Amino acid sequence: MSEKTILVADDESHILNVVSLKLRNAGFKVITARDGQEAYELANTEKPDLLITDYHMPQMSGIELCRKLKESDATAKIPAIMLTARGYSLEPGDTEQSGINQLISKPFSPRQLLTAVNEVLGLAA
Amino acid sequence: MKIRSLPIFVICLIAAGLASIASTAGVLLRTRPDAYTMTVAGIVLFMLASAAGLLAGTVLRGNCRSVARRLANQIAGGSIERVPLKDAEMRPLTTAINDLVDYTNLKISDSRLRFKELEIQLKVAHAERQHAEAIIKSISDAVLVTDRFDELVLANESAARALQFKTTQPRRTPVDKVVSDEKVIELIREMRQSGSTNGRRIVEHKTKVGGVDRTYKITLSCVADDSQGGENREPAGVVCVLHDMTREKEIAQMKNDFVSHVSHELRTPLASIRAYVEMLVDGEAHDEKTRGEFYEIIQSEANRLGRLIDNILSISRIESGLVKVNKKPVSLSVILKEAIEVIAPQAKTKNITIEERVPPAFYQTNADKDMLYQAVLNLMSNSVKYTPEGGNLTIESVVDELSNNVVTRITDNGVGIPAKDLPFVFDKFYRVEANSKMAKGTGLGLSLVKHIIENVHQGKVFVNSEVGKGSTFGFELTLV
Repeated sequence: MSEKTILVADDESHILNVVSLKLRNAGFKVITARDGQEAYELANTEKPDLLITDYHMPQMSGIELCRKLKESDATAKIPAIMLTARGYSLEPGDTEQSGINQLISKPFSPRQLLTAVNEVLGLAA
Repeated sequence: MKIRSLPIFVICLIAAGLASIASTAGVLLRTRPDAYTMTVAGIVLFMLASAAGLLAGTVLRGNCRSVARRLANQIAGGSIERVPLKDAEMRPLTTAINDLVDYTNLKISDSRLRFKELEIQLKVAHAERQHAEAIIKSISDAVLVTDRFDELVLANESAARALQFKTTQPRRTPVDKVVSDEKVIELIREMRQSGSTNGRRIVEHKTKVGGVDRTYKITLSCVADDSQGGENREPAGVVCVLHDMTREKEIAQMKNDFVSHVSHELRTPLASIRAYVEMLVDGEAHDEKTRGEFYEIIQSEANRLGRLIDNILSISRIESGLVKVNKKPVSLSVILKEAIEVIAPQAKTKNITIEERVPPAFYQTNADKDMLYQAVLNLMSNSVKYTPEGGNLTIESVVDELSNNVVTRITDNGVGIPAKDLPFVFDKFYRVEANSKMAKGTGLGLSLVKHIIENVHQGKVFVNSEVGKGSTFGFELTLV
């Protein structure tokens, strides 16, 4: 199995660090971004296998980031998991419009996040 | 000349003449009882009888006319009285007339009584109507009452304001000539046509009044017509009540936003605590240094959560008026010095120097010491948070004896606040996005300061700032 790269975007450094550690411990390569704009740029240069993004971020929100990535052919296929503290729910059609595959509410369990990551990437847990 | 107009003495003269003729005839009959004499005497007696009859008829007719005249005068005068008996010949007629007079008088008296009753009833009805109108007019909700022809019978001032018409409209003007809101007209018409006299219809209606969005709860009900019997009676009209729920909606929205913000703010530190605890439990922190970092993160996030809850509760209690305010004359300088002592260690870790310019302690303000201390501490803590290493903090308080005010300013040379954010920095949960990476905040600290200074102490908060140069936060209070 080739090493999968995951891009994690969150303005809360504690969350960013804990998610990165959990994923690295599970054998993934992790790259991080502190806001939506930085994440957009990294997604285009690094072409990650998965994006994990917070909903509420400065510069560009998680949902805007996902929609923007979906617009470009180079990044349209990147699946996404969104973390949210806002009780946002996925509407039918959100997956097609923004590429968000799963929504995880904060506070979340890193174990549950890892399960979701494996599921989206089609890997056995 | 007519006989009835002859004076009484003329009649008497004729009677005396006739009597003398009669006595002459009697004398003639006794002295000369021949045929000629008999004939003359017969003629005389016939004339005599005719004259007597004529006389009696004249007298009777005169009495009748007198009674008739008397009655006519009384009727013209508005009251009729019994007729006195003048002549035995007239007794039956007089009795009949008097019975009629008694009967008529009884009827007149009955009618007068009834008239009085109706007059009173009318006054009562008028007073009741005015009372009902006064009640309807005093209702703060807009009330429109229409009749079965959709004509406006009654509308209060609130209705005139809400639907923008003049209350001076004449009664019973078609409602669509008075009210321009198509929806309201349609609802009234539908309700009247439905004929449902039991039950009401409640509709939420969004409209614009003077260019401002308003939301009304419209309650429509039919007025039952009591004069009609039976099951299928038509409604006499429609009562339409418009309750302005714009403010209620706004409050509900604000409440919703508040709960949404609070839950978001609470979830964020809780998310860190939960994730780090789970990592420790799962043994994902491989070395002691990492575990130490995790413990510190959990501790600081738990503290953040505690502060957040304290701030939310303080704001909520101040807003709802539940907080017990204990105001007494206190020295603002003493409070400032106490707060500086608490903030100094934090400032020292960032090499921030604090310059203190406070007036003598004898200047006092009427304040709740704990609350004012919290407000001052929040302002100082913010300044330290948003000032880079090696910065300066100036805390000054200036007394203006002329206007009996004290102005406190906390000035830093920190990151500053963009002009677009300045009007909102005291709003609940507002955070300056550009500075969000500089420090963690709940977005409640400055909101609490504003509440304490303005709502509890009737003072005024202010802010001046320039990006890259620093900020001055302050407040103004009245001296004792």
